[in-house]
Amino acid sequence: MKTIYLALKYLAILLWTSFVALPFLWALTTSFKTANGVTGGATYIPWLQYKPSLEGWKVLVRTGGQGIDIVGPYISSAIVTLSASFLSLALGTLAAYGLSRFSYRLGFLKNSDITFFFISQRIMPPIVLAIPFFLMLQFLGLLDTIPGLILVYIALLLPIATWVMVDFFNNIPRQVDEMAMIDGCNPIGAFVRVILPNSLPGIAVAGLFCIIFGWNDFFFAFTLTFTKTQLLPVAVVALNSSVTPWWSLSASALVSVAPLVIIAFFVERFLSSGKMAGAIR
Amino acid sequence: MKRYFSLSVLIIFVVIGSINVHAKDYTKYGIEKDIPGECSYAAIDAKDYSGRTLNIITHAVPVMGEPTALHAKQFEELTGAKVNVVHVPFGDLFQRIMIPFQTGQNAYDVLFYGSLWIGDFNQYLAPVPEKYRNTKSMQEVTKNYRDVATWGDVMVQFPVDGDRHYLKYRTDVFDNPKMQEKYKKDTGKELRVPTTWEEYNEVALYFTGWDWDGDGEPNYGTAEVAKRDDLMFSAFISRAAPYAKNPHVKGGFFFDLETMEPLINTPGWVRGLELFVEAQKAFPPGGNNFGLGDEIFSFGGGQTLMSYSWDDAFIQAMQKDSPIRNKVAAAPLPGAAKVWNRKAGKWEEFDPPNRAPYITWGWTSAVSKMSKNKDMAFDYLCFFSNQANTLHDLQIGRFGVNPYRRTHFDPNFWIEKLGWDKNTATTYVETLSGMDDSKNRVFDLRVPGVGQFMSSLAAGVSKALAGQETPQKALDGVAEEWRQTVDRIGKDRVRAAYANVVALEDNKK
Amino acid sequence: MLKLNHKHFFLLPGLIVLVAIIIFPLLFTLRVSFSSWDVVKPGLDWIGGKNYVRLFEDMRFWEALSRLSLMAVGSVLIQYIIGFGLALLVWRDIILKRFVRVLFLVPMMTTPVIMSVIWRTILHESLGPANDIVQVLGFEPLNWLSTGGMAVLSVILVEVWQWTPFMFLLLLAGLLSLPDEPYMAAAIDGAGAFRTFFSVTFPLMAPISVGALLIRLIEASKLMETVYVLTSGGPGTATETSSYYIYIRGLRDYQIGYAASLSLTYLVIMIISLTIIAKVLTYKMARD
Repeated sequence: MKTIYLALKYLAILLWTSFVALPFLWALTTSFKTANGVTGGATYIPWLQYKPSLEGWKVLVRTGGQGIDIVGPYISSAIVTLSASFLSLALGTLAAYGLSRFSYRLGFLKNSDITFFFISQRIMPPIVLAIPFFLMLQFLGLLDTIPGLILVYIALLLPIATWVMVDFFNNIPRQVDEMAMIDGCNPIGAFVRVILPNSLPGIAVAGLFCIIFGWNDFFFAFTLTFTKTQLLPVAVVALNSSVTPWWSLSASALVSVAPLVIIAFFVERFLSSGKMAGAIR
Repeated sequence: MKRYFSLSVLIIFVVIGSINVHAKDYTKYGIEKDIPGECSYAAIDAKDYSGRTLNIITHAVPVMGEPTALHAKQFEELTGAKVNVVHVPFGDLFQRIMIPFQTGQNAYDVLFYGSLWIGDFNQYLAPVPEKYRNTKSMQEVTKNYRDVATWGDVMVQFPVDGDRHYLKYRTDVFDNPKMQEKYKKDTGKELRVPTTWEEYNEVALYFTGWDWDGDGEPNYGTAEVAKRDDLMFSAFISRAAPYAKNPHVKGGFFFDLETMEPLINTPGWVRGLELFVEAQKAFPPGGNNFGLGDEIFSFGGGQTLMSYSWDDAFIQAMQKDSPIRNKVAAAPLPGAAKVWNRKAGKWEEFDPPNRAPYITWGWTSAVSKMSKNKDMAFDYLCFFSNQANTLHDLQIGRFGVNPYRRTHFDPNFWIEKLGWDKNTATTYVETLSGMDDSKNRVFDLRVPGVGQFMSSLAAGVSKALAGQETPQKALDGVAEEWRQTVDRIGKDRVRAAYANVVALEDNKK
Repeated sequence: MLKLNHKHFFLLPGLIVLVAIIIFPLLFTLRVSFSSWDVVKPGLDWIGGKNYVRLFEDMRFWEALSRLSLMAVGSVLIQYIIGFGLALLVWRDIILKRFVRVLFLVPMMTTPVIMSVIWRTILHESLGPANDIVQVLGFEPLNWLSTGGMAVLSVILVEVWQWTPFMFLLLLAGLLSLPDEPYMAAAIDGAGAFRTFFSVTFPLMAPISVGALLIRLIEASKLMETVYVLTSGGPGTATETSSYYIYIRGLRDYQIGYAASLSLTYLVIMIISLTIIAKVLTYKMARD
């Protein structure tokens, strides 16, 4: 009985692992193909089934007409994502703590409504916001700049950070705050000295979500820039021509995923060490 | 000491010598030789744009995007200017250009885009100055492509490419006596390059689902661009044109110019759609979700017998390492034996079949009216399309630069430079140049809001292809949407623009 | 008059920044929805409620909306079930635990628009590996993207691949923070694995489940890039979702005014239905 259960368990894990890995393995093998390797039907093993070539990868490092420059966009993407995530986290953590500990009334709006207002910012389909955001950044003179993108990304990421952190603070007993205040802290001091150090796991999760959503946003990075500022997804999509070069697209997909996989390892550490336990509950 | 002296003198001489050679020798840029002209390498080299910046928006890499960036880099080195290039997938190119135009943001100096948008963009474009219109390379651009670049009487687009739809087929099947015999035996008909779309479907269906090229994989009859928002509307126009464009009827193909009543649901168009729906039986697996890229891989990779659309699939098939190199040929698009006459309200017989070459939109370029660098921008475009560069770009399939000057229609160029077979090169050149001579040409709907008209059309055609609606009902729906769109945009505005197109089609210019 | 004190120090900075960034786009969109801004007439003329009248007769929009609710709810439920299952699988010690957990997280880290392109090559019926695999397993090749029903399933498949990790992460974190006491009590009662799950684990996980389901529903409702890349809404209109339809009207057709009215209508419908869903879920979960 136990053996069957174990076998089933590992079978399920194996199945899902293959499903998850499939696109990456396929992208890996495709990235070494040329047109002939693609048009002959699905092939998997280089040398045996197709003649491998480095063409797909070369496109990523060549500049000057011979491909796309992926280094610049990599750096811009990192700057925009990290700055916007940091600012969103800072503002979101404060707001979430407030929403979790105090009661507010803004007109007829109570705490739960305000929380919902934050989350509701993610409901709007981004398409129509393109033109108003464009006009706004034009007015501010921030089109095609990194600060402009950071500004817009805060509107995207702040709701997520707040959502995660409200749930998190709700799970920290109020006694912790009260203890701190008995020790002579004012509410702000209690937050900084006692609550914040205890919230690192929650901040890690919120930060992870911010970074993922920021790194992968395509639409605003695309509509609010011209030629000077380019983010990674936009640079990669620049390879999606009417003749789709499957090989270089695959290579760049793998390259753009890499940094976040490293982040995944860090997050897993939090999970294993149990530090994140309660981060979301 | 003396030895050192003489050595350094020698070095100096060598250095000076090599500088001298370099100043004249531009072959390091990959061209064969610089061809003298207004925008030759030498002429551009003489200009100094240092300290200035040129912003360019273009298509994704490689089609058009790669040559744009390549020549931008060369332009930088020759003139000292800084050139920024951004690459955008086709589906989003329109809005990326339109939003800055409408909001008065001077975002790009030079734009590469699909020539069918001229109706929307012309008011934001700088006319091509006389100096550039009179160059020898511009004079050699064929009439079709100068027509395409012109709005009213003003040239606002800078021709950099020639595009059209034509038929591509496998000669190793059509010219193969065994196949001809087999086809005759099974169908009782001669195997020949189709002259009507009925015949096209018939031949395609016969060659579907079996391995006729002996590579172990099943082959299919036809690869077509059928994915809804992926340029499928152009494929459909190619198919419907000979049935709906009657050479005896003037005054409009998409609309009746007088009343601006849509003609899209008239019997000729419906017939075209019926045949499109029927052709799906001869598609490869997944064929009704093929975008242009898939069509190129499918025909270019040897999966299908026939295909029609832009040059790319043909060029892909003719790549040096292609398994079907020199096994393909080009022909004009099939025609129609029965053509709808909307004035008379009846079908007319045509023998030989009626042809209506579709001068499909293609890549073009322009300079923004808002640009503060118009001189530099036009110099760039002129340099991009100078003779040496064009001859170079024509030879690289993935660049998507296709013949558009009279000098390009010489079979020997393709035979000598690219090693094409005589048959392949001749049929290619004749098919392409033949379209220029036609008196029954069809152009795109070059009016404001073309995007709305074509997306309604694509949605309707797609419904019919998926079997959600009958062809007649689907096109009735399109006609209704077109009526509303015309009303919204303004009947007179659309008519005024469409009159330009009709004038071209009716050969009034 | 609002009296500022320490509690405002927490909420106001975030709230003010968010409102400052979002207020103009929102009001502007509202205004645009009463204009005829399109490709030939940029600007804010006033045409009254014409766009909204047109919208009510626009069957494509309403069909897209009902299709979307099916696809969004369907894919989120599948993600939840699989995500919960996976979290339970790797909750306790297994071999290669760290590797498996990281691997399970990875799809969420990838850019949807890029991975959709990769998926399109996988599902390519002539050139991709999907049909190869299906045939090796002894089945007939499938019409992954070329028949309506299959195309919807393919879109859901890709969505499940991409976003199950989101559920997995939230649920695994929840599981790891569960207290031990209820389990000991259950063990003393002699409860089996199934009863333990339904009487202990599931109720304890209810709050986190509601949160996760809601946020995923919000995100899944914006389903567009996958559709755009995989099928362009086809075959016919089989996979056309609200966001994709708004995209077509807004940026392809460039009917900015009309698209604004579509978006705002969508926004209102979503806020109402999400509020109802949230209430129902909270109520149900609390009762269980």
